[in-house]
Amino acid sequence: MAELDLTFVDRVVAEMGRRPEATIPILQALQDHYRYLPAEALRRVCDITEITPARIAGVSTFYNQFRHRPMGRHLISICHGTACHVKGSRPVHDALLRHLKITEHEDTDADGVFTVQKVACLGCCTLAPVLQIDGITYGHLTIDRLPRVLEDFLQLSATGAAAAQRERPTGSREGWGEIRIGMGSCCVARGSGGVQEALERAVERLGVRAIVKRVGCVGMCHQTPLVEVLAPGRSAAMYAQVQAEDAEAIVRRHFPAAGLGRRLRGAIERSLDVILTDEAWEPVTRYTIEVRDPPVAAFLGRQQHLATEYCGHIDPIDLDEYLAHGGFQMLEECLRKRSPAEIIETVRASGLRGRGGAGYLTGRKWEQVRAAAGSPKYIICNGDEGDPGAFMDRMILESYPYRVIEGMAIAAHAVGAEEGVFYIRAEYPLAVRRVGEALRLCKERGVIGDNLFGTGRRLNLRIMQGAGAFVCGEETALLASIEGRRGMPRLRPPYPAVEGLWAKPTLVNNVETYALVPWILRSGAAAFAAMGTGTSKGTKVFALAGKIARGGLIEVPMGVTLREIVEEIGGGIAGGKRFKAVQVGGPSGGCVPAELADTPVDYEALTAAGAIMGSGGLVVLDESDCMVDVARYFLEFTQDQSCGKCTPCRIGTRRMLDILERLVAGDGRKGDLEELEHLARFIQKASLCGLGKTAPNPVLSTLRYFRSEYEAHLEKRCPAGRCKQLVKYTISDECIGCTLCAQHCPSDAIPMTPYEKHVIDQDKCIRCDTCKQVCPVHAVCTA
Amino acid sequence: MPKLVIDNREVEVAAGATILDAARKLGIGIPTLCHLDGCTPSTSCMVCVVKLKNLGRVVPSCGTRAEDGMQIESETDEIRDARRAALELLLSDHPGDCLGPCQLVCPAHMDIPRMLRQIAAGHPADAAATARDALVLPATLGRICPAPCEKGCRRAQHDVGLAIRLCHRHVADAELASGVRLPTCKPATGKRVALIGAGPAGLAAAWHLLGEGHACTVFDAHPEPGGMLRYSIPAETLPRDVLDAEIAAIARLGAEFRMGMRIGRDIHLADLQKEFDAVLVASGAPKDGHAATISPEPSPPPIEVDRRTWQTSVRGLFAGGEVVHKHRMAVRAVADGAAAARSVSLYLAGLPITEPQRPFSTRLYMTTHEEMARLVAGASAAMRIDPTGGEAAGFTPDEARREAPRCLHCDCRKADVCRLRQVSAALGASPSRYHGTRRPFEQDLRHARIVYEPGKCIVCGLCLQVAERAGEPLGLALLGRGFNVRVGAPLADSMADGLRISAAECVRACPTGALAFKDE
Repeated sequence: MAELDLTFVDRVVAEMGRRPEATIPILQALQDHYRYLPAEALRRVCDITEITPARIAGVSTFYNQFRHRPMGRHLISICHGTACHVKGSRPVHDALLRHLKITEHEDTDADGVFTVQKVACLGCCTLAPVLQIDGITYGHLTIDRLPRVLEDFLQLSATGAAAAQRERPTGSREGWGEIRIGMGSCCVARGSGGVQEALERAVERLGVRAIVKRVGCVGMCHQTPLVEVLAPGRSAAMYAQVQAEDAEAIVRRHFPAAGLGRRLRGAIERSLDVILTDEAWEPVTRYTIEVRDPPVAAFLGRQQHLATEYCGHIDPIDLDEYLAHGGFQMLEECLRKRSPAEIIETVRASGLRGRGGAGYLTGRKWEQVRAAAGSPKYIICNGDEGDPGAFMDRMILESYPYRVIEGMAIAAHAVGAEEGVFYIRAEYPLAVRRVGEALRLCKERGVIGDNLFGTGRRLNLRIMQGAGAFVCGEETALLASIEGRRGMPRLRPPYPAVEGLWAKPTLVNNVETYALVPWILRSGAAAFAAMGTGTSKGTKVFALAGKIARGGLIEVPMGVTLREIVEEIGGGIAGGKRFKAVQVGGPSGGCVPAELADTPVDYEALTAAGAIMGSGGLVVLDESDCMVDVARYFLEFTQDQSCGKCTPCRIGTRRMLDILERLVAGDGRKGDLEELEHLARFIQKASLCGLGKTAPNPVLSTLRYFRSEYEAHLEKRCPAGRCKQLVKYTISDECIGCTLCAQHCPSDAIPMTPYEKHVIDQDKCIRCDTCKQVCPVHAVCTA
Repeated sequence: MPKLVIDNREVEVAAGATILDAARKLGIGIPTLCHLDGCTPSTSCMVCVVKLKNLGRVVPSCGTRAEDGMQIESETDEIRDARRAALELLLSDHPGDCLGPCQLVCPAHMDIPRMLRQIAAGHPADAAATARDALVLPATLGRICPAPCEKGCRRAQHDVGLAIRLCHRHVADAELASGVRLPTCKPATGKRVALIGAGPAGLAAAWHLLGEGHACTVFDAHPEPGGMLRYSIPAETLPRDVLDAEIAAIARLGAEFRMGMRIGRDIHLADLQKEFDAVLVASGAPKDGHAATISPEPSPPPIEVDRRTWQTSVRGLFAGGEVVHKHRMAVRAVADGAAAARSVSLYLAGLPITEPQRPFSTRLYMTTHEEMARLVAGASAAMRIDPTGGEAAGFTPDEARREAPRCLHCDCRKADVCRLRQVSAALGASPSRYHGTRRPFEQDLRHARIVYEPGKCIVCGLCLQVAERAGEPLGLALLGRGFNVRVGAPLADSMADGLRISAAECVRACPTGALAFKDE
């Protein structure tokens, strides 16, 4: 093997510094460069910095992002988030490994082209199941489509089309029309980038007076790519599920072509189009939707946009536009006119509670940081949204970076902090880019920096990227991570408000919490408190995904019931199945059954129902979902993400998972359910941090509402027909003998018998679900 | 100066003190594993939990600062259950045996691995003492015992189990030839015990009671002591000089033998009860086979026996050996005699007589091929040695020395000092409550002085702190995450690299057998 070029290490160290807190950024840079962490490079880092071998070994083996062995040329990250899980990510993952002939204990194919890794959640839940290859996202995967996905990617990467998107504001022009296109990560994954380019080309070619404007997430993920057209003097029109080839037709429909020559040419082309491609209009017309359409009205009707204000209207990183919509006015006013005490009083009176999960009163936390002795004080934005099935914070950071910055800056002023950190998951590259760009522009304009709005006040913010550890969402673990250590929580008290980053008073709030602050100060505490319930005020952003007809990102007033969310906003269950439960709050939350769907969105009511508000993931489950499997799924997640410090979480969750794995395999024993409860109670009681204390919730809530399903598994039955080891695949008389199943079966369990009913050899069947997915007449049954 | 209440007792401690400090001041024993005075609390094992009554929260006492007005519960069922649950989880991922399977199988729980190590190290006299301490008649049993230990030997899974019986017979024979080295007895208590029956149970009981400082007189109807050993086993199997020599050692320790004395004929039980502080009936199997009662006198009524404590319904009267438990193995009778002697000692000391606990031990159970290979790697690769002079002749010193190092050393080097074991035994934690995924058994023997068994580590991180403070050039790190987290030397593969100067200190800080001295 050729000797490794270590000059890159020296360059990185020169840039990042030699202090121990630079450990994670240095490792991230090395991993980017070498695609893994060669031992020689790590030793070199220890030689030329203050970072010890113990530190570098501990940190580099703690975070999922870091690899210690070489990686294939392309990295496939396959999402195992909740929505992906219930939509079959496991069989897809298995099929991918089979397709690439990657054996157990390996993660890279023999040719070193693809490395496959499992990721906790890519936050594209409405596209489930999802995978990402080198930053390009593919959604709605089926076993069948996998080979085409890989081919498509290899083609893209060969042509260089996979290069990074640009991040610059589009701007606006007086009197011109706007063609808005949502460009959140999910939209991009569904092809918004191509549509945007096609629209730009069409506008350019037709010379129309319109600007193609990238806007943030519109929330209607089920309709993306979503294009909204605002032509001067005409009402807005919205087009859903737009394809690149629809672009020109859309532009023409709303804007007259400019200039005689162009207009003429356009007219000729238009007539040609009408004649030649009459059908081409079909998709556009079919997908045209308007706000007054019942489904759209239902989706948007209950929503109230506070954290997501100007949803679908503004360019995420256009600072001028944010300013034009009243952005940063509140910050300036706070800096100039409002005392910290006044600000804190407003936040307190609004009743705002932390949106990260635990729901601590924000005003009280600010007061504690304000009152704490010690300086400097720090401010942290917790953007380490790791819950599988949740993508609210990603969307807010991607779509409204300025709003979060403003909220943070107001908070910093209120608590007396001059230094701060955005801690954002590395899995959210677009959010990192946009916040980075937004911070740069803010500094340029003096909105943040050493002299805010010329008032002489300071606030410096920087971004730290998480390195793949769910537990870093826990505030003490997050602080350890910023300090360049393993993200292991510590006992509280002392709370970060008193002893936080570098043992100084530190305010840690979640993305959504900060995003609500400007609205509250502008509209007043009373306006915010007027929304919601007795103890839960204002609005809450939810990621609605799973077996729902209209998934997406929604912001609703507190007090709305789960049923209203599922049935009105989400349009009920997709595919005519029966609504079974909503998983609320991810791995710390629980499953609220359909019978209790009238539970309001309220911190206390959700807790009483066995769930938690959590950060806002809502995964809807239908009758085909097995609740024991869902519980097992979450325990597998927490077990995988446990930091390993305290006994209850490290070993206790493993023992719970052991039992659940036995149950889904039909090997359950008498007393298993009681043992699950015993372990659950102990883990809740004795775990060190919130991750551990809440880890048993998914099991307890399903045991509470779906105990009969557990009992069925003890008798080796899976009523939902979901648990692989307990189901049998058979082919019914509906079979038309098309041979598709036989062609696709990876284990040759189905003999090819054209025009005859096919039969599955049970001994050979590996229950991969492929036949069921490819059968055109739903003749494959599971029981 | 915060004032707080623990288990309804008020205590005042210095500012900054922990709840654990406060409890200690009150003399309330809170068990700890990951705590070490002078180190930063790692709050990881959760064995020291207490309940904050006001908040309803369970917290680790080692890391929670004592605050004014705290109301704390420590000795409640809830807290004991929580501590036990933490221990049972730690034990469920603790691949290793506290005691070797041979030792657990042996009815007398002889410390077989220790004896084998003593033989291997060339200390046959120490080995003989180890054997005699448990077996009392090691040379005798070395000829007649069916050796269940050898069937339990883990090495049998690899090739053939150790020749344990031949080993203890060899060292015991050698000792008999040079004169038995008697153990040091505790100071005389002035108490006197009458033992009825000079068979293996009675002899063993006498040995142990003498060791406790009690005077013993052994009564037996036969002309010579030995019971069934003398009167049922042919002399070619058990040469009488061997038996005589072993009994002579018991006499030398202080036992008085009064032979030819039949109870009910030559002497009456009532008289013995008057003359002695306690009487132990170990007179062999009753003819009618009814073992729940004894009839020491030919005339009824029979006396009831508690088979768990060897007590009878008559105060100061005990019964042991075959008279209570039917068994065919002499080693069982020896074990029974020892257990009955323990009850008698408790009685004489005025202590409550409890059922003896089986020694606490975690179990490795089934090993994988890799695990077996790791165990075998530390032992002699030789096949089982057959005595050249035949089974009856026994081992030569050289043969014993070549056989003994075949022992896999399954037992834990720190079984006597392991805090996990002590606390688990004290709280009655079950080592086998959970059978599930566990770490593999691994052993790092590359360090000159210490052995590291990662599977036994509870990830308390004390060694990391100790090594760092000692200024180790490389030191140790936590590697990995979650269930797979482990302690290891960073960017290197062996403990030998990580611990160059602080190995001994780390072994002492380690609360389990994960880090141990090789020669322990």
